[in-house]
Amino acid sequence: MRRTVVPVAWVTAICAALLSACGAQSVSTAPSPAPSPAAAAASEASNPYAMLAKLPDWGGVWDVTFRPPQPGEAAAPAPKFTPPYQKQWDKYQALNKKQPGLNFVSEVASCIPPGVPQSMTQPYPIEFLFTPGRVTILIETEGLTRRIYTDGSPPPENPDPSFQGTSVGHWENDTLVVETSAILPQTSPVNGINGHSDKLHVTERIHLVDPNTLEITTTRVDPAVFVEPYTTKAYYKRHRDWKIMEYVCEQNNHDALDANGNAAFSLKHKPGG
Amino acid sequence: MKLGNGLRVAAICAATLAVGDSAMAHHSTAMFEWGTEKTLSGTIERYEWTQPHTFIWLTVPGKQGKTREWGLEGMSPSWLGRRGWSLHSLSVGDKVAIVYYPLKDGRPGGFYVRVTGPDGKTLEALPTRNQR
Repeated sequence: MRRTVVPVAWVTAICAALLSACGAQSVSTAPSPAPSPAAAAASEASNPYAMLAKLPDWGGVWDVTFRPPQPGEAAAPAPKFTPPYQKQWDKYQALNKKQPGLNFVSEVASCIPPGVPQSMTQPYPIEFLFTPGRVTILIETEGLTRRIYTDGSPPPENPDPSFQGTSVGHWENDTLVVETSAILPQTSPVNGINGHSDKLHVTERIHLVDPNTLEITTTRVDPAVFVEPYTTKAYYKRHRDWKIMEYVCEQNNHDALDANGNAAFSLKHKPGG
Repeated sequence: MKLGNGLRVAAICAATLAVGDSAMAHHSTAMFEWGTEKTLSGTIERYEWTQPHTFIWLTVPGKQGKTREWGLEGMSPSWLGRRGWSLHSLSVGDKVAIVYYPLKDGRPGGFYVRVTGPDGKTLEALPTRNQR
């Protein structure tokens, strides 16, 4: 049985290889060296993956960095908040004055994932995958996934709110522009602020500023929180040799908030520890 | 490039505003005396190479032959693993000296900053000034 099946499989494979080699040869000897736009469109129609060759190289893994403003660059302005959110912000700033550093208490400490846009500036790296009509962002923190549809289809009507929201994107030359809405109102739109309305809309412009530095300009619009759109920039360093690792927050978390929502620290051994 | 102190603080403030506090850990550090370095010597009882944080459980000798267990949280395996640490950096029974930021409430715990192992080598466990 085995003796008959294997040769047939080999013959089939060789024939297939020969056929595809013939096909490749006929394309490579085509008279026109530069394919016409119509030919390119036809090629993309037959092979949607052909469009990926036009996209910039965002390979590797990207780690958000500590980058001071460069000469000629303005520092990020303070956000302008509506009164209720200004109150939250003032409380956070007072804490920062008393003890500089990490004073922002959020449910992320209890393993509730950060939402867009804060999920993009966690202390762990992110990576980009390009497939036809879609960019996928994989975030190491909490193993989050963002699906950004770039096929030109409109965003769905009234999507359910989610941590990473609903995203559509388009390419403006080498810049990916991402529009995100339907972000869960319990998430943080900016450090120091917990919560926002269901109207929060986030625009991200993502592009390379040098071969190994990615800049993401993030604009938040939510009339319930911000008096005017609030924009920040974050920079990411490329690490071609890094791999995204598994991140299961519940494995051994000692930092869940207490019953009053304050920062806490448990000294009890955890089953996953 | 040498920045004046004022300029450095301004640059750090601006960068913090741009990136945010999340550039350190998945939680606030309000429970620790962040930045106040203390030293502790003891024996590794457990070394948990886990998410979202690594943990060192240390047996520390006390008065009259008694010992006390300390719990010290550290950065995540993914963060440390990219900066020279591994699951095998510390072993049960190792005698170590640990620099840590203590808990504010006085319980025997904190956040580990650097660890000197039995071989005298020191591993940094937080970003130093020139990192990142």
